[in-house]
Amino acid sequence: MESILFYLFATVLVVSAAMVVTIRNPVKAALFLVLSFFSAACIWMTLEAEFLSIALVLVYVGAVMVLFLFVVMMLDIDVESMREGFARNLPVGALVAGVMVVEFAVVMMSDRFDSQSLPRPAGHGPDYSNTKELGLVLYTDYVFAFEVAGLILLVAIVAAIVLTMRRRPNTRYQSPSEQVKVNKSERLRIVSMPAEKRLDIDN
Amino acid sequence: MTNQDILVVLPEIVIALMACFILVLDLYLPATKKKKFGYGLSLVTLMVGAGLSIVYSEPAPVYGLNGLVLMDSLSAILKVGICISTGFVLVYSRGYADARGLWKGEFFALALFGVVGMMVMTASNHLLSLYVGLELLALCLYTMVALRIDSTAASEAAMKYFVLGALASGILLYGMSLLYGLTGTLYINELSASIVRHDGSTLPRTMALILVLVGLLFKIGAVPFHMWVPDVYEGSPTSSTVYLATAPKLAGFAIILRLLADGLGSLATEWQGMLLVVSIISLALGNIIAIAQSNIKRMLAYSAIAHVGFFLLGILTGEVSGYASAMAYILIYAVVTLGAFGVILALSSKGVEADLIEDYSGLNQSHPWAAFIMLLLMFSLAGIPPTIGFYAKLSVLQAVVNAGMTWVAVVAVVLSVIGAFYYLRIVKVMYFDDLATSHPGLQFRPKQDARILLTINGLAVVVLMPWIGKLTTLCEGAIEVLF
Amino acid sequence: MKVIYLLVPLACLVAAIIAGFWGAKIGNSATHRITITGVGLSFVLSVVVLFDVLDGHSFNGSIYTWGTSGGVSFEVGFLIDHLSAVMMAVVTFVSLMVHIYTIGYMRDDPGYTRFFCYIALFTFAMLMLVMANNFLQLFFGWEAVGLVSYLLIGFWFKRESAVAANLKAFLVNRVGDLGFILGIAAVMYLFGTLDYSAVFSAASEKQNAVVTGVLGYEWSWITLICLLLFVGAMGKSAQVPLHVWLPDSMEGPTPISALIHAATMVTAGIFLVARMSPLFELSTTASSVILVIGGLTALSMALVGLVQNDIKRVVAYSTLSQLGYMTVALGASAYSVAIFHLATHAFFKALLFLAAGSVIIALHHEQDMRRMGGLRRYMPITYITSVIGSLALAGIPPFSGFFSKDAIIEAVHHSNIPGAGLAYAAVLMGVVVTAFYSFRLIFMVFHGEPRMDKQARSHLKESPWVVTVPLVLLAIPSLLSGGFLVESVLGGHFLGDAVAQGPSAGEGDHLTAVGLMTHGFLAAPLWLALGGVFLAWIFYVRVPSLPGNVSQRLSLIYRILHRKYGFDQFYQWLFASGGVRLGEWLWKRADIALIDGFAVNGTANMVGWFSRVLKRLQTGYVYHYAFVMIIGVVVFLSWGLWS
Repeated sequence: MESILFYLFATVLVVSAAMVVTIRNPVKAALFLVLSFFSAACIWMTLEAEFLSIALVLVYVGAVMVLFLFVVMMLDIDVESMREGFARNLPVGALVAGVMVVEFAVVMMSDRFDSQSLPRPAGHGPDYSNTKELGLVLYTDYVFAFEVAGLILLVAIVAAIVLTMRRRPNTRYQSPSEQVKVNKSERLRIVSMPAEKRLDIDN
Repeated sequence: MTNQDILVVLPEIVIALMACFILVLDLYLPATKKKKFGYGLSLVTLMVGAGLSIVYSEPAPVYGLNGLVLMDSLSAILKVGICISTGFVLVYSRGYADARGLWKGEFFALALFGVVGMMVMTASNHLLSLYVGLELLALCLYTMVALRIDSTAASEAAMKYFVLGALASGILLYGMSLLYGLTGTLYINELSASIVRHDGSTLPRTMALILVLVGLLFKIGAVPFHMWVPDVYEGSPTSSTVYLATAPKLAGFAIILRLLADGLGSLATEWQGMLLVVSIISLALGNIIAIAQSNIKRMLAYSAIAHVGFFLLGILTGEVSGYASAMAYILIYAVVTLGAFGVILALSSKGVEADLIEDYSGLNQSHPWAAFIMLLLMFSLAGIPPTIGFYAKLSVLQAVVNAGMTWVAVVAVVLSVIGAFYYLRIVKVMYFDDLATSHPGLQFRPKQDARILLTINGLAVVVLMPWIGKLTTLCEGAIEVLF
Repeated sequence: MKVIYLLVPLACLVAAIIAGFWGAKIGNSATHRITITGVGLSFVLSVVVLFDVLDGHSFNGSIYTWGTSGGVSFEVGFLIDHLSAVMMAVVTFVSLMVHIYTIGYMRDDPGYTRFFCYIALFTFAMLMLVMANNFLQLFFGWEAVGLVSYLLIGFWFKRESAVAANLKAFLVNRVGDLGFILGIAAVMYLFGTLDYSAVFSAASEKQNAVVTGVLGYEWSWITLICLLLFVGAMGKSAQVPLHVWLPDSMEGPTPISALIHAATMVTAGIFLVARMSPLFELSTTASSVILVIGGLTALSMALVGLVQNDIKRVVAYSTLSQLGYMTVALGASAYSVAIFHLATHAFFKALLFLAAGSVIIALHHEQDMRRMGGLRRYMPITYITSVIGSLALAGIPPFSGFFSKDAIIEAVHHSNIPGAGLAYAAVLMGVVVTAFYSFRLIFMVFHGEPRMDKQARSHLKESPWVVTVPLVLLAIPSLLSGGFLVESVLGGHFLGDAVAQGPSAGEGDHLTAVGLMTHGFLAAPLWLALGGVFLAWIFYVRVPSLPGNVSQRLSLIYRILHRKYGFDQFYQWLFASGGVRLGEWLWKRADIALIDGFAVNGTANMVGWFSRVLKRLQTGYVYHYAFVMIIGVVVFLSWGLWS
């Protein structure tokens, strides 16, 4: 049963990932990416990595991809120009990809990864909480890595702000409170001027 | 958690806290005081970090925080090197960054967080801590490259760096996960023994090794994973270039030493061949392409590639003396590169980027002292005696010859001679060409502290020569305890 | 004692440094005071050392280890024994005399302080040479004296002839030094050490070691070493055919000619062979070569001296000839006799040079003897001291030269190695010629009618005391040192065990000075010498027209001698212009076409081209970069998984 599920999700994952790269419409490509994430999450679920699986769906599918879709739809991407040269580069790319796939396959099918060398770990009972276990090691054994990861997030925030926030002194803002507070003397000045003499062009 | 756990990472903690403090301070201080306080505090923080690294250093490894990090003299030396070179970076870039609106709290915070990342890298004994350290540094670097948001070149460079860096991180992670699958451990000091323990196919461990190797080589910018280097060096503001060209190299050395020489030491015969190819093509490509450059930052980028090739020669000997020579090499390289970029920074005034080689023509006539400092630094980069750059090259070559690879040494020397051309071209342009008339000419107006430091930096490449043997002894002592 | 040994050379070095760096600042008189004090101190201490050595104390040890490499240590060390003590005393004494003399001779020269710096430096280098206890230090001293000699020959560097002469001296010495350093290398190779005592003690066991040379001919190592070292000695001591530089070196100031090119430096070769006597004793072939070369030099150079008209050149050729005598003594294994002659020669030859210098000052730098004459009335001290020097040179008893030269002739007479007969004939004939040219000089300069112009004659007067005092001080040992020392020389304890004792070290029956003199009247050399003097008197006093007639009669011989056997022209043709032609060919074909055109510019162009091509790889597209990375990964994976 589990292997059937695995092959199902794995097939979906590979196919959808391939579609992400090959399909013309960027919106569809993003949606296929969502599908591939989802398939991956399902595979993780079968491996009893429930927390990671849910996190993947929540974070990537729920947040990152939605944001990504927004961006894709907001930008007017000229698909044709991006795909220029695709056919020309395809043979080389396919060759390299093929070689890579063969090599990975050779490695993965070696005896170091068969069921004898890496037997399937024993399953846990229904009261086993993946989340709790993860939390335990995260806040004890790996607290250092966790803290540094926190720093990474902090830097990411700082980076996002510093790279996007621009102070433009020339930009004009509307300040309602300022507008409300003004009184006549601040905005209105009455100047007396002598009357203009009429210019006589004919002279 | 014990006291020792804290002591092992005390410098990192202090610097991270101070970086946060500077960020917050930046919000509340009036604009006039911001720069002064941020600058001063950053320098003090770096000094404290360096001091703590020395004070709490132990010659033999002391593990802390569940074995994720360690403290030994290797990490102590490199941490001090990282702190000091970052301090130099701050001093040198002040005038430059100030004139371009980059001199703000985020700059200090990013630099300091980057220092934390590098320190974590040098001190990591665990693939996880190594990786998070790497990413922390990388993120800081990406941001610092893009810091000049009005510059398309900077944004482009940051984008390239980011995309390629993500790719390299993926490859590195893949390799690490394979390692974990093969050995069942993430502790670097346990990898070496357990990776050769199992019988069966050796293909998986070779693949893991290669993927990890590729990730590491990308970080230090070795051919063929170097493509980001020239674009990033050229595109980023020089104040960021000087940062990413110096201290991260030290951290890169640390992770290469820890992961390859220590963690995967039992596979030395496998990675030696690959490193050999990488270092020779790095030397060749770096030195040859640098000749055709007209931009001095880009030229220094290719020179960095070539120097990485050279220091890898020391690593690939697989011996303690080789590692020590590589360490001395990279430390000396950091000192000299700091100076070279320092001169470029000092010559760039508001609105003038001193980054074209032709800008330097006749510099000796207008600013003889700057030209002289640059001459010393170029000689040192080219490895001409009596500069410390010569000693660095010599000790690596000695290690290579002692390891029985005389022909490699010969090739390296030939390629270095080719490389000497472009360094000496700078000297030729500065001393023998006439003052450029087509543009306003460079002004050498560093701030007082930068001027003093630059003079010390420039003269150091010659003056330190008599004591340079001590550096090797220090490095050897630091590395010996690991093996 | 060690401190004293150290002080002897260092006093000179310190003086040289002060004179060199601060000479201009402290002024002329302070400079010469300092250098003379330094050299004087050296002399006094050398005498102390000499007496100490005579008391039977010798020293051999290193002072400072410069470095150790591959088990061989390079040291600064002293070997103080009879040989080096005698040399130290001679060197410092002559040097001191020359220093004093220089005050008068160089008084108005703009390079006054430079000159004092050089000669003090020279004294230092020479002392390092003679005091060395290892080949490395010997080589240091050897090259250092060569350098100072070069600097001093070209002292008046604005004079073209001086520059040419110092270049010539330098180049010819290079040939000798090549042999010398090859010899040292051979010593290093064979013995694995550069220390004298270690080499000498190991020498006899290595006697039969052979090296197979070209064409399969087997050389004895010892012979090879000796010959190579002797080539060095030939260069420095100006033996035929490497003698050509010495006559030209007279371009230097006269004090230099006295100090370096007569008394001390040129005898370094003699000293070298004497120092290496334990090695040379083991090789009859080498001794034979030395004997023949020495004999050739002694006679042929004396003959050239006959026809010279420049007063300094006459003395120079006589120096060459006398060096030949010393070399002959070395070849005949009479090392102590050679050193004996070296010492006496140092005194009387320095005396003759300084006297010549005195004459030259008096005549305002006129050196041509044909424009002198009758000077004895004007310069009595110079005259008397010159006569003493010439009598010593000619070998008339009881002057010092008689004893030393007679001892050499006796030694050769008793030698029976191949070439001894030839050498004996040469030195015997040389005696006549020597006596003739030395008195030719005396008669031409001091006797006869004054031939200088009126104005010069009106200014003639004896030189100042700084010039004449050294003359007198040198005349004393020229007169006395021979008789004083001869007994110990012939008794075989002059140099103690510092040199190897040859088989033919004198006879037992007339070992006292008086005995030797009485014996001298019964032997050929004295009569030959007297005959030479008499001939000179006939030629230049009695019948002044005779020289012209003879030279016309024997015009061929005269011309050969006048051209100095054509050595200069031959070298000029073969090495100088041949070298220029070869150089030109190599420059055009090899350098410009091959190296510059093909190798250098070709490589540079290729690298440049390569660089431009490779630069194109950096396209700027991020996906290209990523692709390169992926290809790198794939290549590495393929390689790693394949092997």
